[in-house]
Amino acid sequence: FTALCILNESCLDFGNIYASQIIWKVKNRVVPKEQYREINRTVSSVTFNDTSSLATPLTCNILADGQIEQNIYGITVTIGLPPEKPTNLSCIVHQLSKLTYPMTCTWNPGRHTFLDTHFRLKYRWPQENFPDCIPKDVNNSCTITDVQFFVNLEVWVEAENALGEAESDPLVLDPIEIVKPLSPHNLSVDSGILPTVLKLSWENRISAPVMNLKFNIRYKIFGDTNWMQVPPEDIDSPRTSFSVQGLKPYTKYVFSVRCMKEDGAGYWSDWSEEKTGVTTEDKPSKGPAIWRTIEASHSPASWTVHLMWKALEPFEANGIISHYEVTVRAKSALSSPADKYNVNATNLTLKMPNGTYEVTVIAHNRAGASPPSVLLIPASNSKAPVKNVRTVPKDGKLWVRWTAPNNYVLKYVIEWCLVSNSADCIIEWQNEPGNIQGTYLKGDIKPFKCYLITVYPLYADGQGSGQSVKAYLQQDRPSKGPTVQTKKVGKAEAVLTWNHLTVDEQNGFIRSYTIFYKTIDGNETAVTVDPSKTEYTLSPLTSDTLYTVRMMAYTDEGGKSGPDFTFTTQKFGKGEIEAIVVPVCLAFLLIVLLGVLFCFNKRDLIKKHIWPIVPDPSKSNIAQWSPQVPAKHNFSSKDQMYPEGSFTDVSVVEIEADDKKSFSEQDLKPFDLLKKEKSTSEGHSSGIGGSSCMSSPRQSVSDSDEGETTQNTSSTVQYSTVVLNGYRDQTPVQVFSRSESTQPLLDSEERSEDHTGGGDSTTQRQQYFKRNRSQDETNADRPCFERTKQITCANEGDLAGFAQLQIADQSSQLLGLGLEENTHEAALSDVLLTSTEGQNMRAETVERNAPSVDEMPKSYLPQTVRQGGYMPQ
Amino acid sequence: MAAPDSPSAALQRRDLCSRGIRLAGKMRSDVVDLLEAYVERQGLDASASVAAVEGVPVAAAERWDEQTGTQRLLENLAAYRAFRALLAQMLEEQREQLGEADAALGRALAAVLLQVSAFAYHLEELLRLESRGPPSEEAAGPPPASHLSLFERKLRGLGVLRELAQWAVRSTRDLRQLAKPSPGSSSAPSPAESP
Repeated sequence: FTALCILNESCLDFGNIYASQIIWKVKNRVVPKEQYREINRTVSSVTFNDTSSLATPLTCNILADGQIEQNIYGITVTIGLPPEKPTNLSCIVHQLSKLTYPMTCTWNPGRHTFLDTHFRLKYRWPQENFPDCIPKDVNNSCTITDVQFFVNLEVWVEAENALGEAESDPLVLDPIEIVKPLSPHNLSVDSGILPTVLKLSWENRISAPVMNLKFNIRYKIFGDTNWMQVPPEDIDSPRTSFSVQGLKPYTKYVFSVRCMKEDGAGYWSDWSEEKTGVTTEDKPSKGPAIWRTIEASHSPASWTVHLMWKALEPFEANGIISHYEVTVRAKSALSSPADKYNVNATNLTLKMPNGTYEVTVIAHNRAGASPPSVLLIPASNSKAPVKNVRTVPKDGKLWVRWTAPNNYVLKYVIEWCLVSNSADCIIEWQNEPGNIQGTYLKGDIKPFKCYLITVYPLYADGQGSGQSVKAYLQQDRPSKGPTVQTKKVGKAEAVLTWNHLTVDEQNGFIRSYTIFYKTIDGNETAVTVDPSKTEYTLSPLTSDTLYTVRMMAYTDEGGKSGPDFTFTTQKFGKGEIEAIVVPVCLAFLLIVLLGVLFCFNKRDLIKKHIWPIVPDPSKSNIAQWSPQVPAKHNFSSKDQMYPEGSFTDVSVVEIEADDKKSFSEQDLKPFDLLKKEKSTSEGHSSGIGGSSCMSSPRQSVSDSDEGETTQNTSSTVQYSTVVLNGYRDQTPVQVFSRSESTQPLLDSEERSEDHTGGGDSTTQRQQYFKRNRSQDETNADRPCFERTKQITCANEGDLAGFAQLQIADQSSQLLGLGLEENTHEAALSDVLLTSTEGQNMRAETVERNAPSVDEMPKSYLPQTVRQGGYMPQ
Repeated sequence: MAAPDSPSAALQRRDLCSRGIRLAGKMRSDVVDLLEAYVERQGLDASASVAAVEGVPVAAAERWDEQTGTQRLLENLAAYRAFRALLAQMLEEQREQLGEADAALGRALAAVLLQVSAFAYHLEELLRLESRGPPSEEAAGPPPASHLSLFERKLRGLGVLRELAQWAVRSTRDLRQLAKPSPGSSSAPSPAESP
């Protein structure tokens, strides 16, 4: 692109302006000087080799004096292309009505011109021109409203813009050759006389003088997707009806028609609207497939036979099945008449005797009866079964294969059912011809479900037993894993148990179980277990350790883990505790036994050390060296002994003296032995010399004729005062013995228990004084005898029937044990009695100065006392 | 111009005859339809008898089967040229009379006019194949109808359409006759024999 800027000659004269001063600008942008060319003094040109850099406006400017740019002239630049020759012109005549045939021509307008380009479709007859067809809103098609047929029409396209014009190649055609007619309409379908024929009728919308038509007829069974076509050569001539043959009886068909020019020029019309028609009924083409299940009846001689047959497919039923005619004939008794049943359902339950039967089923519709279907029910399935039944999933179906028996098989029955925990096994079945050894299961076989499939061969004269196999169409991982538990946990092993997954949970054949177990911080160990097992012993395990165990069940498609289970192994193994405890116990027992035996053997030695012999005071030779015993003092007056009113709280118990022997030593134990230590005498007893458990000081004073002596002579010891009542009705012998000994107690004799004192025998009758409860409690709660302590065991001044004991042996450990009151009292009485007697005896001994020990009365019960004066414990 | 007996000329003649026959058939069909519309729109009685209209060629011919092909073509061409003028006049009258109100009738009339023109073209082409060019079209058009009343114009239009329908039938028969292979006979008639 080149532009020139020519300066007026006057510019040269007036302004000294020359072409060299011209500056070109594009859209206010200075064009590089390289594109300028100064042609002469007044003319400058600019050239754009690349028109893409050209923009509008293009201005010519002058650089005047003072470097002032001044615009001289400018032009608007429009960039565009001349039109290309339109190509690919084609036309089609669409029939819009019986008389309306607009023709639409399309073409390729070529490249974009960037300019306003006009297209016009021109057409003409050889001798006549027609007005141009101007496209609206488009540049590649135009529609001529009406065309006339049978005359060649010349059609071409002209394109024109500011840069030029172009014309397509002309297209010469007779519009009748490019017609797309309207499809036939008012299609109707009528049932013919034959059950395999339907007659179609329609109307054409293009007149025969204009165009002879040929047709296409397509049809399909209602609901199908695939269309069938009537052979075109049967309908290649003008017509308005056609009878379609070879159809199935009692079947709903869908029809549709289209047309085009008979010679094939032009275009096919659209398909007409679809119309349906139903062929008439025909007799069922075959009998229904029949099968049976036999249910053992309560009676062994009869069966419950469930006959079942499949409803015929529509293409077999050829109509509406009105009923089934079932004939049951016993084969064994040929003369017996056959039983006939007319059944509307597809099953029949019969109870009949065991035997061989022939069952025939015939389906009836309005057009007639089907051929009979025959099933032989033998008494037993004694014929050869099929072998090697196996299944293979194929193409989304379950393919069952088997090996045929050697004998000729009439047909096979394949029985199957869905095995589930939640539902019963509902039997489905299908018949297959006897010449095959495999088939698809014709049913809704679901994936991940277990099916039990059984194949029965049927022979002309019997039936083989069924051979079963379990199968899955598709397997999956189990829906859950086994829940494992411990049955028994030991020190180094654990017995795990689990239940098999239910059929619904398996989703496939369980091929194996894997047990994973680990300690908290240890690695997981896996053990594979046979799927038939429900128990497994894990070993070796570490004792006293927490284990986590889980179990996975595997199908062919993978495994699923069950919940974790934890257990702790035991610290000791079975029998370990017993092995430790039993010997220890035995050893202990043995030691004890040995100890006992030892003690028994060495009892004398032990006794010597632990239970030393207490010297018998009766054998003391003190008497031999002591001075003359002072005169006895007898207190004859009973009143003196027992001043009236001194017994305030006393109950009297009479005890047979003869019974004293019945008291054992044990009965005597609780008796509180009193002791009094002379060095600690105080209170009421201190002035009396001998201890007086129940004597009052006053009485003691009054009883003492030598009170002053007693009081003044500390070396004088009054050993005891014993008062006895008479026994029952006997006159009590009052004895008051008093030791007049002034012999001081020797330290060396402190250990010996010295019962000294005097007491008058009072009466044979002995009275026991039951002390009040507080005193008993006192006796019971603490020993009456302690080593350096004097304890008064009776109220002061209450001295009737009283034994006053004084025990000087301070080394003796005597315990006073309190018993129950009665026992205590009984024992006390006995002790008192014996003690009294003892004291009497001793008093007498003292007085007579001494009989031998052997002469002591036998009634003195405690032997220990007899030996050494030791009181029974 | 192709030689009359050359294969391509024979082929072209057969094609022209065939398409002419189809065109005549369609033309008759359309004219019949147009007649119904015309009678209805013009308020005429379909059974009304129309006397011979001036300037309208008559389809009936004496000794039709004795005519030569060229004679047939020339008679047809003359008739259709006349129909073309008459129909153009009718179309103009129609537009003047009914304006754009009855566009359908006008379109049908125009379509028939086009078909008449097309058929005339066929005849001219066939005459060229017969080695005689079509006669020059007379400058004189149809007789002016300005002196006719409106009713007479309607009747004349009815007569034109009825006669055109007749001519469509006759033309079909003429072209079929021409399409029959009759070696050497088609060129026998001389121009003097033509009407």
